Amino acid sequence: MNASLPPRASSVRRFLDGLYLLGGQLAALCVLAILILMIGASVGRVLDWRVSWVNDIVAWLCAAAAFMGMAYSFRNGDFVRVTLVLESVSAPVRRWLELVSLSVATVAIGYLGYWAARFTWESYEFNDIAGNMVAIPIWIPQMSFVIGSAILVIAVIDECVCVFRGGKPSYVARVEERHARGDFSEEL
Amino acid sequence: MGLLEIGGLLLFLMLLMLSGGVWIAMTLAIVGWVGQAFFTNTLPGKNLFSSFWETSSSWELAALPMFIWMGEILYRTKLSEQMFDGLSPWLSKVPGRLMHTTILGCGIFGSVSGSSAATCATIAKVALPELEKRGYDRNIALGSLAAAGGLGILIPPSITMVVYAVAADASVIRLFLAGFLPGFLLMGLFSGYIIWWSLRNPDKVPPAEAPTTFMEKMRRSGSLIPCGLLIVFIVWVLVAGIATATECAAYGVLGSLAIAAAGRSLTWQNFWQGLVSATRVSCMIMFILAGAAFLTKTMAFTGIPRELAEVVHAMNLSPFGLIGVLVVVYLILGTALDGISMIVLTSAVVLPMIQKAGFDLVWFGIFIIMLIEIAEITPPVGFNLFVLQNMTGIDSNRIATVTLPFFGCLLVGIGLITVFPSIVTILPNMLMGVAK
Repeated sequence: MNASLPPRASSVRRFLDGLYLLGGQLAALCVLAILILMIGASVGRVLDWRVSWVNDIVAWLCAAAAFMGMAYSFRNGDFVRVTLVLESVSAPVRRWLELVSLSVATVAIGYLGYWAARFTWESYEFNDIAGNMVAIPIWIPQMSFVIGSAILVIAVIDECVCVFRGGKPSYVARVEERHARGDFSEEL
Repeated sequence: MGLLEIGGLLLFLMLLMLSGGVWIAMTLAIVGWVGQAFFTNTLPGKNLFSSFWETSSSWELAALPMFIWMGEILYRTKLSEQMFDGLSPWLSKVPGRLMHTTILGCGIFGSVSGSSAATCATIAKVALPELEKRGYDRNIALGSLAAAGGLGILIPPSITMVVYAVAADASVIRLFLAGFLPGFLLMGLFSGYIIWWSLRNPDKVPPAEAPTTFMEKMRRSGSLIPCGLLIVFIVWVLVAGIATATECAAYGVLGSLAIAAAGRSLTWQNFWQGLVSATRVSCMIMFILAGAAFLTKTMAFTGIPRELAEVVHAMNLSPFGLIGVLVVVYLILGTALDGISMIVLTSAVVLPMIQKAGFDLVWFGIFIIMLIEIAEITPPVGFNLFVLQNMTGIDSNRIATVTLPFFGCLLVGIGLITVFPSIVTILPNMLMGVAK
């Protein structure tokens, strides 16, 4: 059965699921913060407050929301892909294709994570300051990119191991669960 | 190797990975990487970082999670019941009677939601069982729901429009304004078909319900007032230009929360679930946009789109000829891809071509969105079909067959906006001045 839901979850499993969930929840809090700041800024403009710094913070929160939630979103099967071929081949072929896709994804996300870390490190070393209204070192907001892609690398490897052991990837299982409930709110 | 051969090679690689099931966002970035690493002298790693960081840390893009969240909140309310109850008493005199609730319901829900599948699911949840109970024709109900669900992305706010605006570097507000008239046009075409069908098959339309007094009608529609106020508010904010699209989205979220609270469907659990779902969907879209931005950069470095635009230019296609070719291309893409992927996959190549041929980017945005609506109802991959299959148990290919007349309406709509582009451009031009 599904390796992400064994009868008694091992501590590694619990830790990893907790990690993805934490990333997702932090991302959700960023979205909530965007809402509060946007409303605050539009009210503030009427009241003549200085709100020009809000746009920078909102942009960074938007990036943090995008990056921190990637792994959680990936595990939940929200990342779109073409399933036409996958669904028409036999189970062993499908498993093989999933493994190829996941290996490609591992390399690609690993590469992304490496460059995220390398450039953020450079920003830190050269002490780059954000250019707009809020003058803080740019590596601070960029850390969300590094951490988010690191969690995503772990999530992709996790799925890879799961499929390799013969399990069903959680991004397939979750979508099936959702559609069985009749929940289509996440399809566009 | 010439530029076109390189383009063909990259296209082949992309199709190979897509059909093998590699996630679309990653496919875009990988193809972009191959293009830069082998065919340009730039450092792909550096560009990868800046594409991802600059696309995601964007204040305009913050509208995206807000609009998605708004739809998530309303999806969890009783809005669809209220919609059916409020609309049905007014329709007893129109040929086709309650069958129009599907079109009107989707139109109204579409103006507070930015998603096609969510609009379809929300309205179908109530309208399908109610219509069936009263003996209305099931095929017409299914077909109209599948097609009218697409109004969710055409009538603003629209998640797809935000994505297009980011990809094409066009104004979100102009796009939103441009979506209204084509949306009404489609509603007219759909309803027109239902009227025509009912006049030809009077025996298949159940009799009207007992007439209600005007006061009774008003009382039953009363529950729609909050939703109506939210629509008026969003339109007013957009048109008056007092807020940016992002702020408008934030107020939309507040308004939806208020509607949910007034309908007593706002619990902490609902609030948090809606927020987390919206975040997940936004993550997915922003990842795709970042991958597409990287691919776009590759395309700009290699010069493939410019070359391709030249080739198309040299073919001396008339503008209508070009549009005709694009309709066919998007219809084919639409059978297998979802709308957002269709936009980001093609924008790097098609947009320069379109601009060179002298088309307005806002007009092209509406054109592409109407083609996406068609993609949602064409098998084998059409999300509105999947939604209805899941709700009724009827095979999606059968639902696609009963949707055919409405498919025709959509094609007529696309033809009309191509011949009369002012249907699209008049509203934004009138309210915001003519663009450069």
